[in-house]
Amino acid sequence: MGLRVSVDPDECVGHGRCYEIAPDVFRADDHGHSVVISAHVADALADVARQAAAACPEEAIAISER
Amino acid sequence: MSQYDAKAESKAGFNPFDTAVAQNPHAHFKRLRDEAPVSGSPPPFQNFVLSRYEDVRWALKHPELFSSSADAVPIGQDRPLIPLQIDPPEHAKYRRLLDPLFSPKALSVMEDDARKLVNEIIDRFVDDETVDFHAAFAVPVPCTLFLRLMGLPQDHLEQFLTWKDQILRADAGLDDPIENHKASAAIRRDTGKAIYEYFAAAIAARRQDPTDDMLTYLVNAEIEGRRLTDEEVLDVCFLFILAGLDTVTASLDCMMARLAGHAEERRALVEDPSLTVGAVEELLRHETPVTGILRVTTEPVVRHDVEMKEHAIVTCLLHAANMDEREFPDPETVDFRREPNRHIALGAGPHRCLGSHLARLELRVALEEFHRRIPDYALVPGVTLEYTAGIRQVSPLPLVIRPAGTVGGGN
Ligand code: HEM
Ligand code: SF4
Repeated sequence: MGLRVSVDPDECVGHGRCYEIAPDVFRADDHGHSVVISAHVADALADVARQAAAACPEEAIAISER
Repeated sequence: MSQYDAKAESKAGFNPFDTAVAQNPHAHFKRLRDEAPVSGSPPPFQNFVLSRYEDVRWALKHPELFSSSADAVPIGQDRPLIPLQIDPPEHAKYRRLLDPLFSPKALSVMEDDARKLVNEIIDRFVDDETVDFHAAFAVPVPCTLFLRLMGLPQDHLEQFLTWKDQILRADAGLDDPIENHKASAAIRRDTGKAIYEYFAAAIAARRQDPTDDMLTYLVNAEIEGRRLTDEEVLDVCFLFILAGLDTVTASLDCMMARLAGHAEERRALVEDPSLTVGAVEELLRHETPVTGILRVTTEPVVRHDVEMKEHAIVTCLLHAANMDEREFPDPETVDFRREPNRHIALGAGPHRCLGSHLARLELRVALEEFHRRIPDYALVPGVTLEYTAGIRQVSPLPLVIRPAGTVGGGN
């Protein structure tokens, strides 16, 4: 079991909820928009990655189990 | 389908910005969401109110239908406020320029200074028995930090507070309502001119003599290969004053009023300061200091079988949306660990608060330092708090305080 995450740059407006909640999965670019650190999320970070995706008011984060 | 839902109006029609509603808005908001999710006011005014989370978010994410142009928020300025009153796609150009200024990375260098300035403000009243939190803390904190960010001298604080109040709350105090309206508008105009002149001088100084502050950045910034004009820099500064001061003051007021009335929540923060991040989000949601924001329709829009005509003014009630049980289970409960918490107290879509990371930093540092220095406080017994409608300030907010280390304190 593992997780893939991606951020849709057209939807992300930089609320910063994701990288506040999951700084090991997402980071902020210079504009405060979200960048995925690694598309494949380590198992230990899967829960926090899901929390972060759920917290995005723009629903900009896609998650898929692989 | 009806153009104007008279039934909805009579069932749940109320003015969300009414002072009486502002004291206890949650029950009103629930009725609105349940009975009239698109609530209209009678023609010919054609004003509408959206109150459910999904509807408000949808409207804010569709600027092509719900425009932020100056028609929506006429506050007497000559030019549109940048970026608030510019619609996409033009809007994105300005945000690309401004976002880096307010990114978490850019602001992180400010945290130590913010902590120091906040503590200097606490020093002024920490030995008193009671304090008006609003006047002594919530008002000076954002203004002090704004001056620091802009590289303007701290002794201009009083001048700034006066200007801000004259723009946002100009009232000439005349008996005749029409004369009073005219005179108040004149005060706003004169103040606007004074602010523009002040910043024009500061901008000229930065062009001559660049320093390491936000004004210098703005002056040197380029948009599509050209420098910003003085007018554009001025417009941005003006908006910071309008958007970045009272909002933080109101947030601090609402948050501390809540905590002062709920000792168990206050104690949780004192015992575990790491909860502050979650507390800021949850209190932003529960209190939603900016009650609602305005849009104007660009074409007829239908939602829940109600037609909003072209050029209708639409209030997106952020506070009602943030209390919507369709999105937030048990919305009345304040839970610093609530998850997920997709609140939209800072807006949503392209106009999402530009200063959100600054606001969060200010609120977190302010709450952390206040609770570290003054772990024990309560409302002065017998006072009834009054919330301003719209931007929810609480003035006065009288607290009995007991600083850390006092006998019997810190319980
Ligand atoms: C907790 C405090 C704050 C709250 C609750 C708040 C709330 C909001 C909201 C709801 C919006 C969306 C307006 C709309 O879509 O019509 C907004 C936009 C904005 N805010 Fe804030 N704000 C806060 C602090 C700040 C600060 C500190 C600044 C600093 C400069 C700021 C600057 C702005 C600007 C420039 C916009 C317009 C952005 C755009 O149109 O692209 N705000 N704010
Ligand atoms: S929470 Fe959503 S909108 Fe905000 S930075 Fe993350 S992905 Fe972007």
